Amino acid sequence: MSALEYNGGSVIAMVGKDCVAIASDLRLGTQALGISSNFQRVFPMTDRLYVGLPGLGTDVTTLYERFRYRVNMYTIKEEREINPETFAHMVSSTLYQHRFGPYFIEPVVAGLSKSPTGALKPFIAAMDLIGCINFAKDFVVAGTASSKLYGVAEGLWEPDLEPEDLFETISQTLLNAVDRDAFSGWGAVVHVITKDRVISRTLKARMD
Amino acid sequence: MDSIAHPTQRQFNPYSDNGGTILAIAGADFTVIAGDTRQSEGYSIQTRYAPKVFPLTDRAVLAVNGFAADGNMFVKKVKQRLEWYRHAHSKDMPLRAIARLIQTMLYARRFFPFYVYNILGGIEEDGTGAVYSFDPVGSYEREACRAAGAAQSLVQPFLDNQIYFNNQQPAPGTSHPVHLPLPTILSIVIDSFTGATERHIEVGDGLEMYVVLAKGRGVQGLEDVRGVQELSVTEEGERIFVIRRDLKKD
Repeated sequence: MSALEYNGGSVIAMVGKDCVAIASDLRLGTQALGISSNFQRVFPMTDRLYVGLPGLGTDVTTLYERFRYRVNMYTIKEEREINPETFAHMVSSTLYQHRFGPYFIEPVVAGLSKSPTGALKPFIAAMDLIGCINFAKDFVVAGTASSKLYGVAEGLWEPDLEPEDLFETISQTLLNAVDRDAFSGWGAVVHVITKDRVISRTLKARMD
Repeated sequence: MDSIAHPTQRQFNPYSDNGGTILAIAGADFTVIAGDTRQSEGYSIQTRYAPKVFPLTDRAVLAVNGFAADGNMFVKKVKQRLEWYRHAHSKDMPLRAIARLIQTMLYARRFFPFYVYNILGGIEEDGTGAVYSFDPVGSYEREACRAAGAAQSLVQPFLDNQIYFNNQQPAPGTSHPVHLPLPTILSIVIDSFTGATERHIEVGDGLEMYVVLAKGRGVQGLEDVRGVQELSVTEEGERIFVIRRDLKKD
């Protein structure tokens, strides 16, 4: 079995009206055996930037620490916060540096990026395990339930959703997709990033 | 120098996968059975119009997906058995009996199966809408809705949400409807296939939706549907309609 599917788990990100959302399940398993129902794989990088790291559990931890280090170094040297676009390219080049012995992670980036005028623009991106970036305008998915996430998201998502409606859309998409995936589920967490705050909620999900 | 004959291994693979997706949803007194019309092998499209949904009787419609050659042969054989039944009993076989017949026909080929996923839809003898879904060797179940084929993994969780209302809380003092009205179900079917077409290369070209109405139900919900075509000859008994839609061809 593929190392990408060894521990299970899925992540999705969606664009709304002046907001973005990123959500993930909380399962960590070894193949069919469930190990933890509180495994976080979505992490804040700045106040308005989150990254989701579905894939091999050990690489989730390694890459998170690596990105945390590099974002801290960037903030100190540049004396400013990193942009989501810049961060996405940083993730991408980190993965490509390991082109022939990759980290088994397919990252999802979601954040609000600051334009030169100071306005905030929604940004989402997804990558494969060697860093090929997909800048989507609507939604991105990754993980063992990706095909299910695509199907439900394609049916539920619509443009310009307000934060509360975006929360409902991403939550329903994630919950119904992971319920049909044996390797994802066991709880879920959702972050909706708006211009003045981040709404983080843990969802009540099926635990079977 | 003598040349020595080495053993060689040859293999013939009698199966292939022709893509496409089928789907059926039961209502209180009707059933919708749908399928796309693309037939492909690998990355090549063989035809943009190969039906996968077939009316069997006035109240039964069968959708077949998987290996097209096996699918067509299987439908042919089921139709033949239904004709024999008509000659012997002077009536159409009831839906639940067709379902059991399909099980025995599939299991008869347990060790050289028809490589086909079947979904049977129609009206039961008690006038209710019914969907039966099968695996290739005849394991079957009656359900309210089922998707099968290339985009099953995309469509089924969407149906769980929209038909069974999974993960949805009813508004206080209300409950979720057990059966949805026909126009709602037709919209869900169309949305399912446009969604699957968008994200799956083996789905697209055309959509055929068969609607089976229970005896004496009337056509409410179908009046303002564009291009609906009736297949049944009489308004007595169950009635079958077909609705065709274009799907993206890329």
